[in-house]
Amino acid sequence: MNDFQYLIDYFKEYPILIKMVWIFSGVLFVGIIVLIIILKYLRSRLRINGKLNKTYKEKYESLLINYLYSGTEEEGISPDQQSVINQLEICIKDKFKRKIVISSLVKLRNEISGEVANSIKNLYLQVGLNNFALEKLKNKKWNIIAQGIKEFSEFQIEEIQNEVLKHLNHQRKEVRDEVQLYLVKLFNFEGLKFLNELKMPLSEWDQIQLLEVLQRFKNQEIPDITPWLKSSNDSVVLFALKLSQIYNKFDVIETLIKLLNHKNKIVRVRVIETLSYFQDIEAKIILKNKFDNLSLEEQIAFFKLLENSFENTDQKFLLKHIYHQNFEIKKTALKILKILDTEKFNSLKDTSEDPSFVKIFNFIEN
Amino acid sequence: MDTSTLNIIIRILHYVFFFYAFLAISSYIILSIISTFEIIEYVKKNSFVDYKEILSSTISPSISIIAPAYNESLNIVENVRSLLSNHYVNYDVIIVNDGSKDDSLEKLIKAYDLVPINYLVNEQIYTQPLREGVFKSTNPAFDKLLVVDKENGGKADALNMGLNISNSKYVACIDVDCLLLEDALLKMIKPFLEVTDVKVIATGGVIRIANSCLIKDGKLLDVNLPKKLLEKSQIIEYLRSFLIGRMAWSRLNGLLVISGAFGLFDKKTAIDVGGYDTNTVGEDMEIIVRMRRYMQDIGEKYKVAYIPDPLCWTEAPDNYKIFISQRNRWTRGTIETLRKHRKLAFNPKYKSLGLLSYPYWLIFERLAPIIEVIGIVYFIILMILKEVKWEYALAFFMLAYLFTVLFTIVAIFSEELTFNQYKKKGTGFRLLVTTVLEPFILHPFILYAAIRGNIDYYFNKDKKWGAMTRKGMGNINKIK
Repeated sequence: MNDFQYLIDYFKEYPILIKMVWIFSGVLFVGIIVLIIILKYLRSRLRINGKLNKTYKEKYESLLINYLYSGTEEEGISPDQQSVINQLEICIKDKFKRKIVISSLVKLRNEISGEVANSIKNLYLQVGLNNFALEKLKNKKWNIIAQGIKEFSEFQIEEIQNEVLKHLNHQRKEVRDEVQLYLVKLFNFEGLKFLNELKMPLSEWDQIQLLEVLQRFKNQEIPDITPWLKSSNDSVVLFALKLSQIYNKFDVIETLIKLLNHKNKIVRVRVIETLSYFQDIEAKIILKNKFDNLSLEEQIAFFKLLENSFENTDQKFLLKHIYHQNFEIKKTALKILKILDTEKFNSLKDTSEDPSFVKIFNFIEN
Repeated sequence: MDTSTLNIIIRILHYVFFFYAFLAISSYIILSIISTFEIIEYVKKNSFVDYKEILSSTISPSISIIAPAYNESLNIVENVRSLLSNHYVNYDVIIVNDGSKDDSLEKLIKAYDLVPINYLVNEQIYTQPLREGVFKSTNPAFDKLLVVDKENGGKADALNMGLNISNSKYVACIDVDCLLLEDALLKMIKPFLEVTDVKVIATGGVIRIANSCLIKDGKLLDVNLPKKLLEKSQIIEYLRSFLIGRMAWSRLNGLLVISGAFGLFDKKTAIDVGGYDTNTVGEDMEIIVRMRRYMQDIGEKYKVAYIPDPLCWTEAPDNYKIFISQRNRWTRGTIETLRKHRKLAFNPKYKSLGLLSYPYWLIFERLAPIIEVIGIVYFIILMILKEVKWEYALAFFMLAYLFTVLFTIVAIFSEELTFNQYKKKGTGFRLLVTTVLEPFILHPFILYAAIRGNIDYYFNKDKKWGAMTRKGMGNINKIK
């Protein structure tokens, strides 16, 4: 006791700075001990949860399989199925178990198709999981809303579309992504109507995701994309350009030609690339006439277009650009020239002294 | 000098040390808080991303993996196989054999049925010339592989050759002996594709230590904690650096370094700035600083993104000699980069790059070992003069030590709550023991290496990379 009192008295005599340092060290020490205890608890919890997760998963998956194979020929629910529903209804009251039930249902739904997949959807509705997902849509946290929408798209719940559409222009990109995927997964090309309303940018990532989903459908009847090509949202225009190329929409070439004057350079380059895919001669003539006014990226894209649609009359133009400062343009120009006029190509090769030029010649020749 | 002047100088010195320590601790606390928010946000964001949707997409942008190799004959065939097993659809692998003196090329030719091809290299960046040329496989199974054999010019020169050769929009520059997880490219490309308001110029990935992990056929099968304290201490250090430091700097868009072991770049920007600098041993940091500087100069909004997922695993030094050599090089790389770009320092024109990132690196990375050594020397002098006030010394030592331990525990916490790679029972305890010991086991050697790096930089200009002897990833499990 006396020793402790001595320490306290000794501490009191310290300058204020040292007192503060010791107090802070004490706080850090307590912090370390607390964190170690929490860490220990956390690691144990994670391990236990992992084991529980595995156990429940096996249990629910077996219940779900029972449900799927105990249906009757007639419409309606068999007693065995009703028993599964009753058991699941009890389980989903617990948040942890509910999560596992949902993930088991999703897993199963992804593995099967047709009538059986519909049974999974029915089960989802019968046990009332849709009500929990609907609650998520009303949550203030963006990640909860996105989870809710994802769930509805996984179980193809069409009835909820008005609630989902409220989040179309949500400030968080992740929520918008889920809304878009919901619409396209459920309503195929019809779902793309959201593009008319979309005010926020559609990222490249979103575009690829949507195109991948669209390509899975049997029905590949694409609606008129012209309004999207004329959209004031540049990302929508870029997406429509991808659609026009993937689905060979030759009917939009006229609109594409008009887009060659779009204010956004990225759009203009992409338009040239799309027209190159369509090997459009009209575009070639327009671009050739204003070649010097194009940006370098547009010029490179144009030469790729030219590679697909060159004619004898292009020779003069090509000769003008074989000395272009850009390597790609120079290479393409010489490549086309060799096809159009081998004699001219050879004479150029013989007179050229520039080593980089000679390398291109040699490469093209071989 | 009279006693009062000396007293004033000593007092000023005390305040400098105190102020420096105070700033360092404050900055670490702030970085920890920021990284916590950032990592929570990242986990939330990625909890419902379905990577499979993109994985198989043929319209996803093309990526070239550029892997320089120099005398890697021992493991080159397995390492290339690992790189070829990525699940991303639209990618190719460019192995740049940088004038190896061993039989790396012959082994690759034999293992992958390579034949020389006529390849037109767009020499946008100057490099050493080709030696045997460019090779491609006759076997369709290895269609994604391109092997370039060139004269030796160093790692930066080999990477530049890769930049010249690549036809892809993005390039992943990696160490050939790194093990990439199958979804690594997909996760790394995401920031480039999803950010719409600014241009993403590069993405950095986390490097994890593979020592003692079970690896078979280029695949990571089991994560283990190594037995050697040096290796375990590096794991702790990497967790701290990648999950706290870099995560926070990424949030502040102030990341100055992307590990040379694994980074994804916008190829056009990398070429526009002239590629990697062949005159530095810190080419990985230098190119990022140069790219950032370039973007600021042209006035285009940009971002260097960061992905905290454990996607790239590599072998860490398992003995002090190699460890010191590696850290010596890192120190020289930092000095060279900061010196080369000293125009950025406290320059308001470069906004947060000049006013925040650069000063932080200068004060807390570049100068830290020097200030620490001055402190130690000063302390020894005081001890000799019997002028040490032990209650002060002990208090500050305790504070510094406890703070380091706490900071590391926060990093372990972050790891547990997010990626939880060290799941096995007992590993948590071993990590904590290492946390307590690490300031005594690793830090003195880091300090020594940094001082050696400074000396080498100023007095031994000819020193370049230094050897890094590797056991090879396939053999790591055998050395447990």
